[in-house]
Amino acid sequence: MKKSTYEKPIISKITTGVPGKFGLSTKQKIIAEIDSIPVAKFVEEFGSPVFVFSEKKIRETYNDAKRAFETRYPKVQFAWSYKTNYLDAVCSIFHDEGAWAEVVSGFEFEKALSLGVNGANILYNGPEKSKQDLMLAIDHNASIHIDHFDELYLLIETTRKMNKKARVAIRINLDAGIYPMWDRFGFNYENGEAWNAINRIMLAENLELIGLHTHIGTYIMTASAYGIAASKLSNLMIATHRKFDYWLKYIDLGGGFASKNTLKGAYMPGSETCPSFDDYAEAISNAIISSEIPHENLPVLFLETGRALIDDAGYLITSVLANKRSTTGRKTLVIDAGVNLLFTSFWYNLGVFPSREVTDFMEDTTIYGPLCMNIDVVREAINFPQIKTGDQLVIERVGAYNVTQWMQFITYRPNVVLIDLEGKTHIIRKKENLETIKKNEFNPKK
Amino acid sequence: MQISEEIKISDNGFVFNSRTGESFSLNPMGLEMIKMIAIDNGFDEIRESILEKYDVDELAFEKDFYEFLAMLKHHQLTQQGNPLDFV
Ligand SMILES: Cc1ncc(COP(=O)(O)O)c(C=O)c1O
Repeated sequence: MKKSTYEKPIISKITTGVPGKFGLSTKQKIIAEIDSIPVAKFVEEFGSPVFVFSEKKIRETYNDAKRAFETRYPKVQFAWSYKTNYLDAVCSIFHDEGAWAEVVSGFEFEKALSLGVNGANILYNGPEKSKQDLMLAIDHNASIHIDHFDELYLLIETTRKMNKKARVAIRINLDAGIYPMWDRFGFNYENGEAWNAINRIMLAENLELIGLHTHIGTYIMTASAYGIAASKLSNLMIATHRKFDYWLKYIDLGGGFASKNTLKGAYMPGSETCPSFDDYAEAISNAIISSEIPHENLPVLFLETGRALIDDAGYLITSVLANKRSTTGRKTLVIDAGVNLLFTSFWYNLGVFPSREVTDFMEDTTIYGPLCMNIDVVREAINFPQIKTGDQLVIERVGAYNVTQWMQFITYRPNVVLIDLEGKTHIIRKKENLETIKKNEFNPKK
Repeated sequence: MQISEEIKISDNGFVFNSRTGESFSLNPMGLEMIKMIAIDNGFDEIRESILEKYDVDELAFEKDFYEFLAMLKHHQLTQQGNPLDFV
């Protein structure tokens, strides 16, 4: 006789008045495959945990963003934000689509060059640029985005010594109605500091001021803030023209578009609340086009969009190590990927999903990572079905910042795999091993 | 382990504790097990009957069963015994 299907015995308390919990009929979403490849196959071939990127999704998202802007504004150029994800394979896809490089360190600059990016197509941001970094940027004719007066004077001094010209822009911080206002980077608009910097640069013979840059923050939920920022930069462009009879070539509005992830503490999922590329494009294009800048002098619009372009293309496949109950009876899961690999779990309630069919019964659950630290919590509270130890889960929207901000702590960093447009898989970063870690160590005691 | 006297278990998986006014729900497997526990079946008897009927291995059953008992205890549905007693 064939035996009946077994399921885990469960009892749960009924809390009246509180919706959800037991009896919640929302169907649990399952991620059984990524780009038609079964989740189990990745683990079989590349181990667990494993990061998986979809080339198809990267290109689709990039083209969505591009379309939103190009249908509204005549001159648009994206520059891929390296810090968001600087794996060679990922950067190369963005460059192949036509993106320039946006870098914030000598390391990132060198990485862009190593991928064949023309130096003139690199925007160099950030407060940390050494004299050597500046020389490298000058030699390659990059756009150097000056962050503060000390850097401006170092640059003047360096160009004199090299007897070369540098192409520069300034980073501007401004009040776009966003709280907190990021005022630690660049020159302030409202107090006239930015205008002072422009005047100083226009008088420096070795500096060619070609653009204005701002980055108002990250995960900005209000598209209209970009309209305010674009208007303020347009005002500076007009003022520069009035005084120097010279039109700057570009306005760079930085990054900051929200990805569909859900911020901690948010009531509604990010996929419902975050503006679309069209919303951002509408606000920005309207502000520049309706400014006093004549149509023939409209600046090139640069965008350094990071998370919104890559978050959706990245997944982390992980396995359940243990099912436990806390002393309060709460259900907890331990998985083999923690905050060491998921830096963004500090900001987001990441979406975690089973990889195969589950029973309807859901329970409020805490998901822990594998580290021996109390802060290693991937989800504090998630309504989750019963998952067998050893089963795989898929964490979605982890393409941004995780594979750059991850820590080599306690364990090796895992394989990163790319699914190409033909559905073939490639390791794009190999799992670390003892040698990876030890090769930069020296032991005077042995 | 014994289910407390105040606990009423209905056939549709509904559990009511008349002492505290709390109610609970069971999935079908939970209901089947709690009924066996309520009529004083021991671990061995319950295991035998479940293993015979369902497609589950011994260890998986044992783990789930003890977790289930711990939850019954946690929700105060069982008579409180000595904390050093094995479940
Ligand atoms: C100067 C600059 N540009 C672009 C970005 C990318 O931002 P996001 O990922 O929010 O789009 C950042 C991120 O901090 C940044 O500092």
